[in-house]
Amino acid sequence: MSTYILMKILESAPSRYDKGIRVLTLGRLDKVYDRLASHIKGGQRVLDLGCGTGALTIRAAQKGAKVKGIDINPQMLEIAQKRAAEANLSQNVEFCEMGVAELGGEESESYDIVMSGLCFSELTEDELRYTLREAKRILKPGGLLLIADEVRPKSISKTILNWLLRFPLVTITYLITQTTTKAVRNLPEKVEEAGLAIESMRLSKIGNFIEVAGRRPKGRAK
Amino acid sequence: MNLLRFIGATIIETLLRVLPFPCKTGLTKIGNPDRNSPVFLTCNYHLTVERVKRVLKGIDAHLVVANSRGINVWCAATGGLLSNHNVISVLKVSGVEELVDHRNVILPQLAATGVEGDVIEKRAGWKVIWGPVYAKDIPAFIRNRLKKTPKMREVEFPLRQRIEMAVAWAFPISIVLALIILPFWREAVFPLIFLVWGLSFLIFLSFPLYSQWLSSEDRRIGFVFFNFGRGGFQLILWGVLVLGLFVYSLVAGNFSWGFVFRWSFITFIAVLLLSIDLMGSTPVYKSGLHEDRLLRVILDEKKCKGAGFCEQVCPRNCYEVDRNRHTATIPRAGRCVQCGACIVQCAFDALYFESPKGEVINPETIRRFKLNLIGKRLVRGERK
Repeated sequence: MSTYILMKILESAPSRYDKGIRVLTLGRLDKVYDRLASHIKGGQRVLDLGCGTGALTIRAAQKGAKVKGIDINPQMLEIAQKRAAEANLSQNVEFCEMGVAELGGEESESYDIVMSGLCFSELTEDELRYTLREAKRILKPGGLLLIADEVRPKSISKTILNWLLRFPLVTITYLITQTTTKAVRNLPEKVEEAGLAIESMRLSKIGNFIEVAGRRPKGRAK
Repeated sequence: MNLLRFIGATIIETLLRVLPFPCKTGLTKIGNPDRNSPVFLTCNYHLTVERVKRVLKGIDAHLVVANSRGINVWCAATGGLLSNHNVISVLKVSGVEELVDHRNVILPQLAATGVEGDVIEKRAGWKVIWGPVYAKDIPAFIRNRLKKTPKMREVEFPLRQRIEMAVAWAFPISIVLALIILPFWREAVFPLIFLVWGLSFLIFLSFPLYSQWLSSEDRRIGFVFFNFGRGGFQLILWGVLVLGLFVYSLVAGNFSWGFVFRWSFITFIAVLLLSIDLMGSTPVYKSGLHEDRLLRVILDEKKCKGAGFCEQVCPRNCYEVDRNRHTATIPRAGRCVQCGACIVQCAFDALYFESPKGEVINPETIRRFKLNLIGKRLVRGERK
């Protein structure tokens, strides 16, 4: 059967995911998620794509929103569920083991906010385009798509700088937690392609991390 | 040119076999497929995709490559990286649904440890057909009207795979050991590399000679000679090597205890590293290091309807299904490698794992948590 080393890598991943991501993003993730959650108001219906251990889901629920978190990893969802229960938010959140490819089952124009933290970087190119299309469909007119994720820097000099800075970080993180991410190319362009209007965008200094808010236009006109 | 690239990829990825090699996911056309052509699915381990494409040459088909993060089908499926979600995802987003009129997808049999046929059908509308274990059998499988012979269902450890494993272990271990020894003892670097490669080939090529003495049932995990509760093969091999050292240094005429001691130690480390997970390096045994090797598959006769899901997915042909009496039996249970495929696939939940302590691990637990939570999952086991 499969070799020991590989199994070890696979089996230790979920419980260490949070720690790994925190190291990989140098601790700035909490602030990023706080900023994303500031777009959310009480009573809104929110969908969290790739909710993982629930960092964004719980922030949204604390704002008084009704949140559905989806993820394909049952172990992560278990941790998320536990956290929501500890924060007394269980009645406002719903977790579903489901991938982005199954968004087809969600009703059109049913969410005020669709958000995603570090999920797009785990998707394949096909999945990413599909998800953006579906996100637009299920958002109410005027609804917001919020994304925080790692992106490929645009210029070559920044790419090299990013690589130099990240290489040791990625190596260490991978060794400790077997977690890593794959940066997305041209994310804002893809969001616009899907028919959403970019409302705000915040790029990190090296250009390797992005926070985007895209709005589904109101009415039929583009 | 294509052939050269294929050979190049085979060499590099065999040397670095222990690492994942992801390639592009999504839809590929093989030949000139039409709306009725078969749809094959595989993982995105680069070498696997290349090999599947090679055997499919001459067949008009659609190939969809699911995201398994560059890990091979069996490991990814068993470890939860090639799951229902990855399969549903590629079927839904790759565009294959627009290209064919049918909804049948042929999956590699070894994916049965992590992908549930009935879930794919319920949630994505695709019917899963379990293909052969090895891609090389696909043409015969198609000629046979998508029916598998017992041989197509079984994993093997033939010469070619043994050579691959010998290379896969020899390369990284020889490099690491050479780097460690380089600052202390420069002259020993080349003999050491030679020794590691030689030993690796010796261990894996001679596998059929000693495999009958291997046992995964021993409950103790010794620190040194893990896999050989009874055989002590490593110890014998090491003894022979040390004897050879004595003879060599005597014949060469410059006998010194220091020389013999140093090389005895080095050969000890090399033998140990190379065979530390010997059984886990073969497809015909469970890893000797893994607690799961002690699990037994139990058949609940009251629930069994003899549908034969188990027989279709067992890579060791442990099962026998009596179609007249509608029951299955496990006459060759001793060959089981605890992959869990039969338990995952049984539509009637008639199979489960039982640990040596008598704890039961239910099908639902295995379907949800796969084999990647070994330690934790054993804790979850319930007393009968």
